[in-house]
Amino acid sequence: MINRNLVRGFALMALALGFGLPSMGYSLGSLGRAGPGMFPFIVSCMLFAIGAITVVRARLVAPVPMDFQVRNIAIILGSLCGFAALSHFVNMIAGIVFLVFCSGFAGASYSWKRNLKIAAVLVGIAFAFQKLLGVSLPLY
Amino acid sequence: MEVLNNLAFGFSHALTLQNLMFCALGCTVGTLVGLLPGLGPLATISLLLPLTYSIDTTGALIMLAGIYYGAQYGDSVSAITMKIPHASSIVACIDGYQMTLKGKTGLALFTAGVSSFIGGTVAIVVLAFLAPSLGEVAFLFGPADYCALMLVGFVCVSFVTTGSLLNGLAMCMVGVLLGSIGTDVNSGLARFTWDAPFLADGVGIVSIALGCFGIAEITKNLDAREERSPFNGKIKLIPTWPEFKRIIPSALRGSVVGSILGILPGGGPVIAQFAAYALDKKVSKYRHEIGTGCIEGVAGQAAADEAAARTSFIPLMSIGIPENAVMALMMAAFIIKGIQPGPNMIAGHPELFWGLVASMWIGNCFLLILNVPLVRYWLSVFKIPYNVLFPAILFFCCIGTYSINNNLDDVFITVAFGALGYLFMRLEMDPSPLMLGFILGPMLEENFRRAMLLSRGSFDVFVNRPISGTLISLIAAFILWQTFGFFRQRGKAKELVVAPAAS
Repeated sequence: MINRNLVRGFALMALALGFGLPSMGYSLGSLGRAGPGMFPFIVSCMLFAIGAITVVRARLVAPVPMDFQVRNIAIILGSLCGFAALSHFVNMIAGIVFLVFCSGFAGASYSWKRNLKIAAVLVGIAFAFQKLLGVSLPLY
Repeated sequence: MEVLNNLAFGFSHALTLQNLMFCALGCTVGTLVGLLPGLGPLATISLLLPLTYSIDTTGALIMLAGIYYGAQYGDSVSAITMKIPHASSIVACIDGYQMTLKGKTGLALFTAGVSSFIGGTVAIVVLAFLAPSLGEVAFLFGPADYCALMLVGFVCVSFVTTGSLLNGLAMCMVGVLLGSIGTDVNSGLARFTWDAPFLADGVGIVSIALGCFGIAEITKNLDAREERSPFNGKIKLIPTWPEFKRIIPSALRGSVVGSILGILPGGGPVIAQFAAYALDKKVSKYRHEIGTGCIEGVAGQAAADEAAARTSFIPLMSIGIPENAVMALMMAAFIIKGIQPGPNMIAGHPELFWGLVASMWIGNCFLLILNVPLVRYWLSVFKIPYNVLFPAILFFCCIGTYSINNNLDDVFITVAFGALGYLFMRLEMDPSPLMLGFILGPMLEENFRRAMLLSRGSFDVFVNRPISGTLISLIAAFILWQTFGFFRQRGKAKELVVAPAAS
């Protein structure tokens, strides 16, 4: 079983390191004349300390199981990335159709007909945004 | 008298045809989106924020405020009818849903609508009287005091939203660190950009909000695989006179509680609802019925909810410090429009401040009209299956993110925050404090550096000044109390384990 409290602590420590280590690459200066790295460095140290306390605390309290389902989040993020890539290389209509058909796999049921209708309505809305509200969308 | 003149000035701006339209549109769209499962005021505002980019400043802010309290009300409708709550409507679920089970949905919705109107009206009076005078107090604040005030906000929000001070503070700090991405104002150096040009201006708040709230929330709902059945209950709206007489005192109590708690750092609708509910349970004539589907259980909390939603604008507009995540988003909207909320805002942009205050009351009237007679039509939103709804919400997330800079890179940033938001959700880490940290981070850094420069690097400046000294002592006392509480709880748990073994 993965202990949620433990993962939380390690995740915080990883985030703290992700910001703390690069901040040391910028000038830290002194407290009286702080450089650009000083403030993020102090906050990262505090975050790292909280992460460490969370890890210690996770050992003291009863473990809590962590539930993480990769499938749906992967489908949703993949469909969003596909939308952005297709909108960039082809056009946004292709992006919208891909978004609807791909994200549909995350739903409770899948229907091509329903997806086709949703995609048609959303393309219509996108055209309305472009023509009526003046939003600059690369639709075609 | 001066307040009345100012309000009249505000109404002259808010009652223009254009602003009336924006107010009505904000309330309607806010209510509609707020009704949708999983979308609370925070997600609603982040979804709809890009819609206001092409509108003039006063109109845009009036519309956003309308979206905020519209979503707040929409949320309570879904809580009452289908027990689908969000943070701003948890308490509405208790008695509201019990009333629905008893076949009194109409009465519960009427009570919520009228009480929200009363709560909103009382709060607007408080806002009009208090905000300008609080703005004058803000001039007494130095950099160290601002730092201490922001830290108090972090501590309060952390505790209120997550229940654990440690988790909440950690999320605030993550937000502060995310806020430091981009060009450093003092040195002009690009920080944490990894040579990516689109990160030079920092990360957009809309990307973070849509990723952490919108996308993460949708995926969480999909993981649950809940088939939400449409609401089919019958609705009888108009209450009897004795029922109406029970609504008023409770709504007035809730209004006062909500107005006060809305102003405090970390306060706002969530804590106000619980406090009003607890107060009604203590003092109401019908306190023994509360919890079993009682009018007072809906009236008090609904009034407090709306009142706090409006008075939470006071610290934002008078001191320039948002006290919860929704206000942080509102602050972002102000800044996007080129307005810096704070003590100078009322004097510098009186038409905006008083126009917004007046529009809140107009929005209140719109909400009453929209929600009391028309509520049965709103409920048809529940008939849209979630399988249809979620691709549409994803589409709006994409359009919302893209339209900020007309840049598809922003969609990828939103995707990254969607992944992070999902991880946070699975780790039971509320992203609301992160939003506050992100907005206040640059201000905190600026004031921290200024305070340290003035004190030549000595931390004494935070305890020597009376305002910051008091605030820092409050934080220290709260942290000590929390630590003591943890060890006491642990001691009790150990005793419980040892006692049966000994016997």
